[in-house]
Amino acid sequence: MSGRARARARGRLLGQEAAIPGAGASSVQNILPSQPPSRQQLRQPCVPPSASGQPGGRGRQRSPQSAPQGPKKISQEELQISMGFQEFSISDRDVRRGDSHDLRVNTRQAMEHVKESKTGSSGSMIKLTANYFRLTSRPQWVLYQYHVGYSPEMEARRLRTALLFQHENLLGKTNAFDGSILLLPKKLKNKVTELFSRTRNGEDVKITVTLTNELPPYSPTCLQFYNIIFRRLLKMLNLQQIGRNYYNPSDPIIVPKHRLMIWPGFITSILQYEESIMLCIDVSHKVLRSETVLDSMYNLCQHVEEQRFRDVCAKELIGLVVLTKYNNKTYRVDDIDWDCNPQCTFRRADGSEISFVDYYKTQYNQVISDLNQPVLISQSRRRRGNIMPGPVVLIPELCFLTGLTAKMRNDFNVMKDLAVHTRLPPDQRQQEIGRFMDCIQRDDNVQKELQSWGLSFDSNLLSLQGRVVKAEKILQSGNAFDYNPQFADWTRETRGAPLICAKPLDNWLLMYTRRNYDSANALLQNLFKVTPSMGIRMNMATMIEVEDRTEAYLRALQQSITPDTNIVVCVLSGTQKDRYDAIKKYLCTDCPIPSQCVLARTLSKPQTVQTIATKIALQMNCKMGGELWTVEIPLKQVMIVGIDCYHDLLSGKHSVAGFVASLNQTMTRWFSRCVVQDRGQELVDGLKACLQTALREWFKWNKYLPSRIIVYRDGVGDGQLSILVNYEVPQFLDCLKSIGKDYMPRLTVIVVKKQLNTRFFMQGGRPLKNPAPGTIVDLEVTRPEWYDFFIVSHAVRNGCISPTHYNVIYDSSQLKPDHIQRLTYKLCHMYYNWSGVIRVPAPCQYAHKLAFLVGQSLHREPSLVLSDRLYYL
Amino acid sequence: MDKNFQEKQFKGIIKFTPPLSKQRYQFIKDLVGKYKPKKVADLGCADCTLLWMLKFCPCIEVLAGLDICASVMQQNMHRLSPLPVDYLQPAERSLTITLHHGSVACKDPCMLGFDLVTCIELIEHLEEPELKKFPEVVFGFMAPSIVVISTPNSEFNPLFPRATLLRHPDHKFEWNRVQFQSWALETARCYDYSVEFTGVGHPPTGMENVGFCTQIGVFVRNYPQTSEFAQSKKSTEEVYKMVFKAVYPSLKDEKYLQNAVVSEVVFTAQIIKQSLLDCLMLEHDKYNDDPTERKSEFQPSVNSEDLGNLDVEKSMEPYVNGNVIYIPLRTIFSFPEVNQLCGTFEKLCMFVAGKVTLSSDGSAVMFSTEHENH
Repeated sequence: MSGRARARARGRLLGQEAAIPGAGASSVQNILPSQPPSRQQLRQPCVPPSASGQPGGRGRQRSPQSAPQGPKKISQEELQISMGFQEFSISDRDVRRGDSHDLRVNTRQAMEHVKESKTGSSGSMIKLTANYFRLTSRPQWVLYQYHVGYSPEMEARRLRTALLFQHENLLGKTNAFDGSILLLPKKLKNKVTELFSRTRNGEDVKITVTLTNELPPYSPTCLQFYNIIFRRLLKMLNLQQIGRNYYNPSDPIIVPKHRLMIWPGFITSILQYEESIMLCIDVSHKVLRSETVLDSMYNLCQHVEEQRFRDVCAKELIGLVVLTKYNNKTYRVDDIDWDCNPQCTFRRADGSEISFVDYYKTQYNQVISDLNQPVLISQSRRRRGNIMPGPVVLIPELCFLTGLTAKMRNDFNVMKDLAVHTRLPPDQRQQEIGRFMDCIQRDDNVQKELQSWGLSFDSNLLSLQGRVVKAEKILQSGNAFDYNPQFADWTRETRGAPLICAKPLDNWLLMYTRRNYDSANALLQNLFKVTPSMGIRMNMATMIEVEDRTEAYLRALQQSITPDTNIVVCVLSGTQKDRYDAIKKYLCTDCPIPSQCVLARTLSKPQTVQTIATKIALQMNCKMGGELWTVEIPLKQVMIVGIDCYHDLLSGKHSVAGFVASLNQTMTRWFSRCVVQDRGQELVDGLKACLQTALREWFKWNKYLPSRIIVYRDGVGDGQLSILVNYEVPQFLDCLKSIGKDYMPRLTVIVVKKQLNTRFFMQGGRPLKNPAPGTIVDLEVTRPEWYDFFIVSHAVRNGCISPTHYNVIYDSSQLKPDHIQRLTYKLCHMYYNWSGVIRVPAPCQYAHKLAFLVGQSLHREPSLVLSDRLYYL
Repeated sequence: MDKNFQEKQFKGIIKFTPPLSKQRYQFIKDLVGKYKPKKVADLGCADCTLLWMLKFCPCIEVLAGLDICASVMQQNMHRLSPLPVDYLQPAERSLTITLHHGSVACKDPCMLGFDLVTCIELIEHLEEPELKKFPEVVFGFMAPSIVVISTPNSEFNPLFPRATLLRHPDHKFEWNRVQFQSWALETARCYDYSVEFTGVGHPPTGMENVGFCTQIGVFVRNYPQTSEFAQSKKSTEEVYKMVFKAVYPSLKDEKYLQNAVVSEVVFTAQIIKQSLLDCLMLEHDKYNDDPTERKSEFQPSVNSEDLGNLDVEKSMEPYVNGNVIYIPLRTIFSFPEVNQLCGTFEKLCMFVAGKVTLSSDGSAVMFSTEHENH
């Protein structure tokens, strides 16, 4: 496995725990743990989940909410209402909190040049369909929002609901209530209505229902509300809610070989798009495991030595999401407490002590058979009012695993067996979506509910126009290569052509263990075969045989590296992460020299070894500062910046931002830095410093400063858009100002998003096809308050392609949308580790690779000596 | 449950711990634990809390709820749906939960054949004509083995701080002990049941004479159920409307059983295969210096020397032929998990046929060793 493949395989560690990709990583969702189930305990920090047995955070306690204040300013009140409503949606565990936040950020209004139109023009028109359905009718009436107060204060949501609906005659059957906010399609007679109810204990309760707002049908709050209604429908269709989405349990796909079960399901969302409100539906798959955490611990126990057992368990299990046997909730495993077991006791809400064994026996009739198992700890991530609930204790025997472990993700066989079921080709995906829409249209109860709110949807998928831009010519040392745009790959076309800039291998090390001598030799011989045509001058390597131990590698490195060494190549016998990390750490920080690690196994097949040697030669060349190819980039004096982040979810300790910036006109050389930050630190200060050094470096190379800077910002989480707009962009501008008084470059900041639910299908022709690489969509499914577009830049061999979304959040460049789109597409051709077009602009992928290397292996910023080379590939 | 209340005599605040409603439900749960009924109906199930608690009781196979208010059931019915885990690991028992919209004053055949019918805090909500019909419907028509009826004890009411005539505005009446017991005894006599009285919610010390806060009558049928009698009632017209039905996945259902068997068989076969391969590797790597490989407990017969063994025993041994590993179904059947699921070997063969790749004579699971162990 080359460094790239290894990194890609390990890249899956990042928080993609629960669902598996349909195609690419787009259908991977991060499953947020559901509402924290614990009751706050003062003396005993850990408690088992509460008895609440249904989804929707029923057990949650609300902090008493004060009645809305009188209107100060309209905007103020609107804000407050929407905040309240957000809580509403959270309690239903449905609308993505972050997403809805992002939607309120209007960036387009500040950009004069795209106010009228943000569409491009080049390319040939094609007809597409997208997985969207228009909302054909929606309520013309206003939605009335009421605040409901109780006196005396009632805590439990269920009780609040029950008390309120003793007055159903008055309120009507059609309503939505979250415990404090009531939405009604009709207006009550009075602005303030007082109602009296009595609890079962005979307590009289005064309920005050106060009108707080009248929501017009186009208000964003209404949209969120439609989403909530829609989720009700999914429940009616007997879909099971797991995490955020709904899945169909009745026809699971069983993969007994790996003890896996796949539930097909759907991701839905209703949003305001460019011209209309639409429902987006995508197929999603949930991987479940017919194995409890305890089973999996037993299994591990059999396969590892005793002293490593706890470590291995931690590595395997922490970060996974589990489902409990007794309620419909998911929890993320944050820790394993080996000092505790099911016989330990905790303090219940009424003050009594009870052991976990007894608790689960009496509460759920769940018998715990292994009394010596450790317990799992899950930290709740959501505040309950102002209190952060304590950690939740889970019993391994009562928890089922969901999603894949890191080991399974790295297991080619597992992934292959799953892909058969989850990578739906375009045809099948569209059929599934269509069938689902049929179900909605045909189910009586669902239709009744929709009608009661006055909602209906188009039964056909959205048709829209896209444009396919012309394929780029690949320029390499005076040659211009055409390639088949369908495959978006030019490996074959450019084979044997000299590189733009070849770095000689005059003085280089090749390290291997005795067992891997044959592999090392095969690599060497094949490098000799393939390098001449590339124009790489190559001397015989200094061959170093080392023992199969990490220290042996390090010692050999210390002894053999001279100031003249160009690069170090290590043939490794296994995927031991610690060895890889140690070598990289030494060669990136202590003794900065480019390095290339290869797995011996990768070189073991005689029929492929030459191809692999070719790829390794190219990669080594890039790492030493060589250049492979370029495309025509008409824009002059422009510096392209790419930023991506790596978050260490397992230990949660630090995040790393990778930063790369182009150094030359042809975009073949890149400067890089990274920011390693502890939790809670702001990323942006580090980025500012990166930009400063990048500009200095640019000046050194070009003898002038760039007149345009275009930033591609990847790694932006849901809900972070406003931080970017309000904080990060101003900091960039500040930074530019500080460079010099007269220096006024034009800045463009583009947010890149890969994980989308949007799918495009090419119209006409059976079976249905993916849109061709180079397809640009900038209407209908874009959003009116953004300057955004989609590009399908890469090609996939099987499954559905997932487009990439670009959102221009700041632009003083005055460039036409068409130019920005074309430039973005061109940059997707410039990633040197893949002789084809990739999903994102090359600087984003470089930044990703850098952040990944630092986050996974180095844990500190690499030496700046290497910063003008692609050593992190 | 003796000292489970905290009482501040002078302020007159009565607070039950656990709450009285929980105590009532716990009472039913205990009763279920004692009598192990298979079919339980809750009349006036409201927010379905009792049904939700009862669904965890392993003896129960049928649960039904009835309420006059459909919306309260609809708001809460989803808590009675199977959980994801119920699909992941289908239970041995079958369980069907239904909710019906209707009145306890009307007969519907869906309420026939139950072992236990509970009416928790129900009768005091009934108007007089309904209350009159109630005994005939529950004791005469449904005629379960056990009926539990709970209702407020009005003698307790003066202890509440804001003493009102009735505890809840929807209560049509609240009986004292004599009233309830005479009604119950009369009903029991009329329909040939025996009744015993108890309650939950102890009165404060010094006030024991008022009795339990909630009074409970447990009625036990004196005669055995005859099937023809039940049959005759089946023809009654259906008047309830079903608002919810959930059939839990169960191994009693062939579909789930087959899935479970196939999963277990393939998984077991994988384990055997892995230990076989590990063993082979061990042989192969003998001169290698890697001590971390653990010797597997399973000893497969590679180049088995003991040819003299009985045929039966030999057919139990997994073996390797070229790139293919054969694991006899007999061997797999000997694993307790598989054994327990299928019961008989014939059943095992029937379930895996067509679902798992078998050798030509159908006696062994086949695996190719290619693409593995790179």
